[in-house]
This record gives sequence, C-alpha cells and structure tokens, in this order.
Amino acid sequence: MSNIAGKAYAMNAVTPMRWYTAWWNRLFFWIAHKRPATTAGLVTLSLIHYARWVIVMPHQFPKLSSDQPQEDVKYAYMIFFSNFNGSWNQYVDSFSSAIPGGLNLFWFGSIKYPKSVPMLPFHRYITSNQIWTDYYYNAYPMASSNDVKSAKKVKDSLLAFIGDSQKAAPEEFMQKYNRLLIDLQHDISQMGPNPVVSLSASAVERNLRKEGVERKELSD
Amino acid sequence: MANKSGNAYALTVLCPILRGVPSDSPAGNSGQTYTALLRNVLQTLHVNEESPMAKVPNTYLCRFWVLSDVPYQGKPAFLEHLKSDYLVFSSNFHGELEPYLAGMWKALQEDVLAILWHCVGHEAVRDAKSFIEYVKKCQVTTTFFFNGSTDEPLVEQLKNLYLKQEFSRFAFENQGKSASELQEAFRGFVQRTQPTNLDGPTWAPGAYHLDRVEGASK
Repeated sequence: MSNIAGKAYAMNAVTPMRWYTAWWNRLFFWIAHKRPATTAGLVTLSLIHYARWVIVMPHQFPKLSSDQPQEDVKYAYMIFFSNFNGSWNQYVDSFSSAIPGGLNLFWFGSIKYPKSVPMLPFHRYITSNQIWTDYYYNAYPMASSNDVKSAKKVKDSLLAFIGDSQKAAPEEFMQKYNRLLIDLQHDISQMGPNPVVSLSASAVERNLRKEGVERKELSD
Repeated sequence: MANKSGNAYALTVLCPILRGVPSDSPAGNSGQTYTALLRNVLQTLHVNEESPMAKVPNTYLCRFWVLSDVPYQGKPAFLEHLKSDYLVFSSNFHGELEPYLAGMWKALQEDVLAILWHCVGHEAVRDAKSFIEYVKKCQVTTTFFFNGSTDEPLVEQLKNLYLKQEFSRFAFENQGKSASELQEAFRGFVQRTQPTNLDGPTWAPGAYHLDRVEGASK
C-alpha cells in the first residue's frame, strides 16, 4: 500500500454532503469548467499533475447484479483525487494558502467542512476523510509536473533551434546557442529519483523490484 | 460533466466487490474475504517500469484503492454505511476512453481478469468489447477535472523528458568550448538523441532509476 510513486503523491478524500447542496457544488464546478479563468489559482499550484472532483449522488453507486444490495445512503459523496509533487503537508498548506476561497466553494456543503483557513482544522478534516491507495502507478516517477511542462518547452525550442542553426557558421551557431540557453534557463535541469520521503514506500518498492527481477529471471 | 480536459481523460470507476468469502480461495488464503484477497493482489503488483500499467499505452498516472465504507463526520451527521465495498480505479490518460480500454485489455488481459475476479459481474468480461462495456457500467462521471500538466500522447511526454535530461547534461558538459567544438558536439548530440524520433531513444514508461530509464518506447 503506497500513496507514493516516485515524485508523485496520490491523495483520495471522500466527503459527504447533502444531496441538494451537491447540486450547488455541481454548479460551481460547471462554471469552473466553462470559465477556466476561475481556476487561475489552481494553475499557480504547479505541483499538481492532475486532480479531479467526482460527486457520486446517492443513487449513482454502480449496481451490476440483482444479488448486489442497493445502496441506501442519504448523502451524496464527493471523492477528491489528486496527483501532486512533494509532501502531504506541503500540498495541503499550499492549497490552503493559494486558493482558500476556491477550496471553500469546492467543498461547499460538505458536512462539517471547517473552511480552508485556519489550517489546523483543515488538516484534521482532510486526514480524517483520506483513504489510502492500494496501488499507484506513475509513468514518469523521476519527473515533477513542472518537469513535464518544461520538457515540452525544451523539446519545442530545441527543434526550432536545430532548424534555425543548421547552416550557421560556428560563431553564429554559438550566438544562437547562447540565446537558447538563456531562453531555457528555467527549464533545463537534471532529473533523478527523489530523496526517500517514506521508508515504508521505499521498502515496498525495493521488495517488489527484487521479487520482479527474480520472477523475470525464472521465466527466462 | 467533465471527464476530459483537452486531450487528457479522467476515468473514474467504482466496481462493486463481491461480498463474503469465496469457496475457491487461492491456496493459503482460505477464509479471507474477496476484499482482502483483492487488496493482496493490488498490493503485490510490480512497481515502476515492471508495473503492468507501464504496458498500457498513454497512461500518465493511475491508482487502485478500495472504498470499504464512507467516512462518518460525527454528530449531528447521519451515520451510514455502504452495503458493498468498491474497487476504485482512476486513471489519467491521453485520448479517448474506448481505445484506451481496448489497449488495456490487449496489454493486460490476465491482470485485468485477476483483479476483476473479485468483483460483481466479472463473468461477463470475456474480450475487449465486454471489458469496455463492464467499465462503462461502473464508470462515474468526473464532476471537475483539472489538468495541471500537458495533454500530449505519453510517447511525446517521455521523449520530451528524455530530451530535457540529455540537453541539460549536454549544456553542463560543454561549457567553455570553442564555437566550432560546440557545433561539432551538438551535431553528435542530435545524432545520438534523435529529437524527432518518438520510438527511441527515449524514457521507458514507469522507470525510476537513472541506469534504467533510457530505452525504446513500448
């Protein structure tokens, strides 16, 4: 069980709300979807890869068989999923500091939601509603969200530079190269494995890797 | 409302888990519930580049967890319980749902069946078509999806990261060279890294070690 895959942390939080206030939340999210400017605060939280809010109304829990009992919950449940870089505390504090009003809207109507400020009750609320991840996969565990975004800029700039400098004399090439480096000074950096932030996650990874190698050798 | 943000898709699935204890438990696990057995399967899947999900094209990040009940908020809130446990699968990927699920079935048929064996209605899943139908029955619509990254195909993202890594190294190693030496070295860099070739060299999906990250795309 691990909430960590490389530099990404998987958060799951499940919070109840009354079914009729859930419609207000859906309206807020609909506005946020239609008018991306309303989520400008979220964009400043560049540590997020992807996040989502899913409101499950009382009747929406999937029922696949007549043998499966029908759920009879009264509340709607909002499930929040986030993939972010850094520690839990860094993330929750950044959220609370950067978009306190936005958080209050997104969790509007959630039962006993304490508001995003002050931080301590907010921490307690998230902690008591968080559910651990059983299995987490990340396609680029050595990269942060900022690395993914800056890597796109590096590639685009590099391709433009290759086209532009192909027939350049050495001196002109160097001038263009130096301009490229200045342009990319915030984007070029070496990536590598994270420092160990969780001894248990690290141990799980080590064990599963070892087992994987052994299994592979056996099948060879 | 919003499963997509640009070309990125947020898939959220709640699969009801069978209740009780199976009569044909795997050896050594008799008496364990379907939920406990499922957790065991999930928690012993390989990780990083050996993860089964590394074989599924266009998966950025995904997770499995078990929703075994709903959190109680204390008085005066209602105390309520779910009657079934649910396997929650959430995936962030590039592209459309059906091709993604077809790719998942093609790459991971055995793993998919091993996981779904614990879930209600799994008998209906026999091929890619029935797998897609099953997932759609269990899908819940994402209310709001925030994409803080890019929405390119995964092979593009991995090639970008490979180039960022290699170019950063190149810039560091070639400081102080003369213009002609630098130009010559850069020609070698382009030849080696093949910036427009997405098939390789590039980063391998899921790789978490510098000595294993470089490879051909899958």
